[in-house]
Amino acid sequence: MGTKLKLSGADMLMRALHDEGVELIFGYPGGAALHIYDALFRQDKIEHILVRHEQGATHAADGYARATGKPGVVLVTSGPGATNAITGIATAFMDSIPMVVISGQVASHLIGTDAFQETDMIGISRPVVKHSYTVFDASEIPKIVQEAFHVATSGRPGPVVIDIPKDMTAPENLFEYHYPEKANIRSYNPPIEPDVEQIDRAVKEILKAKKPVIYAGGGAIASNAEDELFRLNEILDAPVTNTLMGLGIYPATHQRFLGMLGMHGTYQANMAMHNSDLIIAVGARFDDRITNNPSKFSPDAKVIHLDVDHSSVSKIIEANIAVFGQVKNSLAAIIKGLENNLNEYKKEKLEPWHKQIKNWKSSHGLNYDLYKDESDDNPILPQAVVQHVYNITEGRAFVTSDVGQHQMFAAQYYHFDEPRKWINSGGLGTMGFGLPAAMGVKLAFPDDEVLCITGEGSIQMCIQELSTCLQYNLPIKIININNEALGMVKQWQDMNYGGRHSQSTYQNSLPDFIKLSESYGHVGIKVEKNSELKPALEKAFSMKDKLVFVDVYVDPSEHVYPMLVANHSLEDMWLSKDKKT
Amino acid sequence: MIKRKLILIMENKPGALVRVVGLFHQRGYNIESLHVDPVDDFTPYKFIEDELETKFKNNEISRLTIQTLVSDSLMRQILRQLNKLIDVIAVSNEETTYLKGVLLDENLL
Repeated sequence: MGTKLKLSGADMLMRALHDEGVELIFGYPGGAALHIYDALFRQDKIEHILVRHEQGATHAADGYARATGKPGVVLVTSGPGATNAITGIATAFMDSIPMVVISGQVASHLIGTDAFQETDMIGISRPVVKHSYTVFDASEIPKIVQEAFHVATSGRPGPVVIDIPKDMTAPENLFEYHYPEKANIRSYNPPIEPDVEQIDRAVKEILKAKKPVIYAGGGAIASNAEDELFRLNEILDAPVTNTLMGLGIYPATHQRFLGMLGMHGTYQANMAMHNSDLIIAVGARFDDRITNNPSKFSPDAKVIHLDVDHSSVSKIIEANIAVFGQVKNSLAAIIKGLENNLNEYKKEKLEPWHKQIKNWKSSHGLNYDLYKDESDDNPILPQAVVQHVYNITEGRAFVTSDVGQHQMFAAQYYHFDEPRKWINSGGLGTMGFGLPAAMGVKLAFPDDEVLCITGEGSIQMCIQELSTCLQYNLPIKIININNEALGMVKQWQDMNYGGRHSQSTYQNSLPDFIKLSESYGHVGIKVEKNSELKPALEKAFSMKDKLVFVDVYVDPSEHVYPMLVANHSLEDMWLSKDKKT
Repeated sequence: MIKRKLILIMENKPGALVRVVGLFHQRGYNIESLHVDPVDDFTPYKFIEDELETKFKNNEISRLTIQTLVSDSLMRQILRQLNKLIDVIAVSNEETTYLKGVLLDENLL
């Protein structure tokens, strides 16, 4: 071979990212990252998307990761570049999304001197990363990059930060480049294969159950377990509910699908969970938005909990059987166990359970009747907007959302049949997520329909990314469910604060979103009447090569229901403004 | 609430200690006492070397002793969260030891 390849730290970084399979990074340059940006310029393997704010970079990388299953990669500078990225890192952390964030840092000799644009990125990000690295020795860059990707993508995925002082990437210092074959972190060993004994116990319990519910969350998506979950239920024929993060892992149009559960879950999903005798939890963590009051949660249910993270099990709800491992593998093992005992399982025994669920569904299911109210005498209902979008896109689009009422309406009324199509900030609840996340999705899937269901509050938190969409020609469809207020805040104020709308309205200060979109070179369509809604949406989706911002003025008084009554059980729900279970 | 002792064996790397301490702070657990030393005699930890198929070198790992006031259920959660930290090799309380994700029914540290 002769002489070994010698590269600068910055060039090694680019080379290592390429060796790791990275094709796309999202970022924003600045002083401490300039050596890296120069190395980026001098290569042609990795594409860089210049965002307009570092928060946008992290959300875009996050959207890319959620849609593709591959880690999102972010490159920012020190100081404000790094701190601006924090919200997006925390968003990814709460939802266990694989992400690698490379932040420039002031030169080693300046660290601790309050240098220009110096901030302790490792310290600031520590509570919201899975792990982090500081580069103290440039020759270790390839090894650190490899470890970072390994940590970010294995076990329970999450964001990893690599902080690189500027001198570590200086062009004059050259090192032999060697990319290790395999990351080896002796102190890190996430579970993969489940324990056989626990699988046997789980199978026995499943065979006995008369009122089982499968409760699947984001962990099932992270583990790509959709085929296993589907197969499991071909055997069991049990009702299935998904968390907000799990939507799509089981086909929403399947007759056994109950809808989402929890705070704004469907009546039948919450009732089924509460009354079940066995909960099979798959990559879900019994979050407070799911359990309501844990001491009143599903009183008669045994819990089988499949998870890759030890600390997620029996944290809030005690598991009777804990199965640690990649949930895909754990499900496969349970399927095998069931297949060996098929003679002991009769689907018919679930008939009374299915009948009960059918009654719940027909009495108080998502019974909003779309077409009855669609005259121009009535204001547009936000649910109707989502239903029309669902019908026009035939349920096949990638849908990102922001946070608030529109997010819940989207989760309730867009029925996802496939995983990784529903992209939202479930854990952290980050307003401003939707648009940049949609950019990441569209870059990964340029031929697919990508839309962002948002609200006039959320969209303004990262609206600057409309400029990025123009630069890279990203024809996303933005559906702005505009109720001229911070709807979810207002709903809580209506329900719990005597209708006192403290700081949840804008006093006629909203921008003209049509002109705003046009000023960024996009198309804007305003919708104020029911009769305009469907034609406007059809027109928007017919403009394949344009970003279209559809600004739909909806009934500002609408609330999201069902809604759990705080501190009670899953049976206790508000079903409308004046009706409680 | 009972005062309990936790022992950790962890990589002696910059930032490792602060991750442990930070975890206690973030989750609202109070530390009563904390002691940390680099390990130079590896004989008690041969089982770890065997399990991880590694050989420890001088100053490569630290032994941490933490006393904290917690309930039983919280104790288990703390152990699991400490075990999750990438730089933590093993963590034990009076009854159990987590050795990189594997739960063993005795205090081996």
